[in-house]
Amino acid sequence: MTGIGAGLVLQLGLGALAVASALLAAPSLRSRAGGILCTLIAVTGFVTGVAALLGATGGLLIPIALPMDPLLLAPDRLGGLFMLIVSGVGILVSLYSMSSTRGPDASRTAWVAMPVFLVGMQLVPAATDSVSFLLAWEIMTLGSTVLLLADHASRATVASAGIWYSAMSQLSFFFILAGFAVLAAASGGTSFTNLQAIEPGSWAANVAFVLFLLGFGGKAELVPLHVWVPRVLPEAPSHVSAAMSGAMVKIGVYGGLLVCVRLLPDGPAWWGISIMLVGGASALYGILQASVSSDLKVLLAYSTTENMGLVFLGLGASMLLRGYDASAAADAALVAALLLAVSHAAFKSTLFLGAGAIIHATGERNLDRLGGLGARMPVTAAAFGIASLGAAAIPITSGFVAEWMLLQSLIHGGRLDGAVVSVAASVAMPLAVAVIALTAGLALLTFVKAYGIAFLARPRSAPAADAREVPPLMQLSLALGALSVLALGLLPGPIAALVANTVSSNPTAAVQSVGLGGVSLPGIGAVLDPIMLVVLSALVAIPVFVSIVVSARRHPHRTVDLPWGGGGSRARPRMQYTATSYAEPLVRVFDDVLKPSRDVQVTHVAESRYLVEKVRVEQHVSDVIETRLYRPVLNLFQRYGIVVRHVANGSIHRYLSYSFVALLIVLIVVSL
Amino acid sequence: MFETFYPQLIGLCTGALLLTSALMVWRHSLLASIRLLALQGAALAALVAVIGIAEGESELVLVSLLILSVKGVGLPWVLAHQSKASIKQIQESPRLNPTAALLAVTLLTILSYVVVSRVFGLGDSETGHAAPIGLAMVLIGFLLLISRRRARSQLIGFLLLDNGIATIAFLTSGGVPILLEFAVSLDVLLVVLILHVFAGRMRTKFGGTAVDQLRELHD
Repeated sequence: MTGIGAGLVLQLGLGALAVASALLAAPSLRSRAGGILCTLIAVTGFVTGVAALLGATGGLLIPIALPMDPLLLAPDRLGGLFMLIVSGVGILVSLYSMSSTRGPDASRTAWVAMPVFLVGMQLVPAATDSVSFLLAWEIMTLGSTVLLLADHASRATVASAGIWYSAMSQLSFFFILAGFAVLAAASGGTSFTNLQAIEPGSWAANVAFVLFLLGFGGKAELVPLHVWVPRVLPEAPSHVSAAMSGAMVKIGVYGGLLVCVRLLPDGPAWWGISIMLVGGASALYGILQASVSSDLKVLLAYSTTENMGLVFLGLGASMLLRGYDASAAADAALVAALLLAVSHAAFKSTLFLGAGAIIHATGERNLDRLGGLGARMPVTAAAFGIASLGAAAIPITSGFVAEWMLLQSLIHGGRLDGAVVSVAASVAMPLAVAVIALTAGLALLTFVKAYGIAFLARPRSAPAADAREVPPLMQLSLALGALSVLALGLLPGPIAALVANTVSSNPTAAVQSVGLGGVSLPGIGAVLDPIMLVVLSALVAIPVFVSIVVSARRHPHRTVDLPWGGGGSRARPRMQYTATSYAEPLVRVFDDVLKPSRDVQVTHVAESRYLVEKVRVEQHVSDVIETRLYRPVLNLFQRYGIVVRHVANGSIHRYLSYSFVALLIVLIVVSL
Repeated sequence: MFETFYPQLIGLCTGALLLTSALMVWRHSLLASIRLLALQGAALAALVAVIGIAEGESELVLVSLLILSVKGVGLPWVLAHQSKASIKQIQESPRLNPTAALLAVTLLTILSYVVVSRVFGLGDSETGHAAPIGLAMVLIGFLLLISRRRARSQLIGFLLLDNGIATIAFLTSGGVPILLEFAVSLDVLLVVLILHVFAGRMRTKFGGTAVDQLRELHD
């Protein structure tokens, strides 16, 4: 057995051990033991992923009795990259959960589900045939569903989120299963090498593409299949939301790449265009909802939709460009999409873990009741701040590199040697640039809000005022996450070169590492060297900073008492901006898209209606897609569901009679 | 000598199987049903032994002993393992009156003859001619499952169904390998033990084992 096979076996063994320890360990030891074993699983996955990413071959063959291709787990370079992403997030989450879990989150069931979830996510990118892929996919979904439901007994919203999640996951699974079934029927085999033989232009490939887009799009939170996200990610325990958003959603992206890059490369132009459309719509819709949300975890959940939208936008652009032989730009767009996936894993898991730390310390996730946490929780604030910079795509963080590369490829991709490659590309690319520009602006606003309202200013509620820094292990996990965001942002060159190796036939023509870990796109002629950027800015900033300090020393500090308060001396926390008021202009601008419901209640003084005693304002922004698209369908089902309830009334005799009658009918029909 | 009696022995055994099945539908007392089940197990064992002797396979004789011990003695003993006084009182009030039930049994038997002769052909051998009995037993077992209210009476329907499957296996292919038969018998024994315990728990918890009262799911 080669290295990769041994790594996979070790992971499975550790997973079994973790399940056993969760079942047998005493409650006081359960979180510690589970956390350590889950960390070991993730570390093993990390090492295996690195080996696969560097080109090691080998795997784990599982013979089965059924008449189809045997199950083979052998990750290629792309699979290795995604194993790396998943296990990286897994390490952060496992370390964090060791000291964060308490109450129902640390129950026996939850600790059984955790290793199952982690191992399931690792096995999906390792699969090389559709059966093991679907099997691992279901293990992953099952583990995450159980983890989500950890706290269902005390909160009704968790149960509702569980139902939404199960329904949407099963819908995704159904589409993926159907997609594989179509391909397998057309090619006569279930292994990916068999499926690759299908002509991308054939009807089977077209049908399968649509099915896969629906299936993987649902897991990758693309609009309009994202409705589970704003319910599930906020209701799950924070380390689980971090794993879901940071890692599991990437498995959806991996599915998209598997179909578009590995199984059915060089598809027709409409494939690329439709992926770009879906991606662009998701990016805009996601960030718009995130920017007006005042619930921290809902904000992060919608921002995930935005980021995945951008990833798919890059993927679609690369497919479109490859169709017109602009391979350098196509490769750059694809590498940008992958880098965005990697960096999203880093910053979004850190952000969710940071949100978990806030909830741990205050019990609040409503931004309108937070504030002033920066001084009370410095480590959390620093980590959350750095991750916010990444999410807003500010230089020296990972998010910036990816979006820069994506913009470069989109701006230059429409032209090859000075000539326009096609009308479709020359229309699509500028539109995509506009979408990314708007998204980037709104993302900046969103994360300024998230960080500023939560960590700066004065506390807006008593729990926020009494907040304490979280335990050391949680701090360690947050710090590791923040460091990875910075490392990916400062040294993009080597990482981009490795990533390019996974998808490109000629990686050095697309992406090269230059200078101090900088990245260069030779086909486009663009260079980015973040460390040089930092050094240059330091050269400018240090003299300015020194001169400020010197001048401050020269003039002694004076305190100024306001002679006439002007209201400033009596500022109260209630007078500060809140998350809702900060986003209010935005809600007005995008009123037609967001359709917010406002309720203003004015109570007048009894004697005069010109004097107001109390004003109460409530604003609620609901998900338009859910209310306009899903509700009518659900209502329809509910109406007919009542009829069906008579058919399935819980009586076991009735169910048995159904099977008996069915058996009799079959017998009668075959004997006719 | 044996050759002349062989068809009649097969007919006798399968006839006993069918008769016990029909009687199980007719009788309402639990104790009577259990005794009929024991009788049926013995008839099945006899059938296997006859086939084994006719085909000269000593393995089948072993299997017949196994069947006799599990289906003729073991399972009925597990089911009747309770004070005789209380079990005598258990009377089933089925959802189908006896006349209708016997009529249904007749129809099901006819149907299984039609199905087997049309779909598979009855063949020339004596065992092939008797094969529809197995299918009829499966269908009658199913009928018991849906028409009985008590959990333990349903268990009898389930065992009848299992006997039917075994009968089909022995009549059409001369039986299954002994290892497989052993495993299946153990499985059935285990299932019955579990269901028996389950029925006991139901009775202590709800005061009865009428299954159609159990409609709501609880945490």
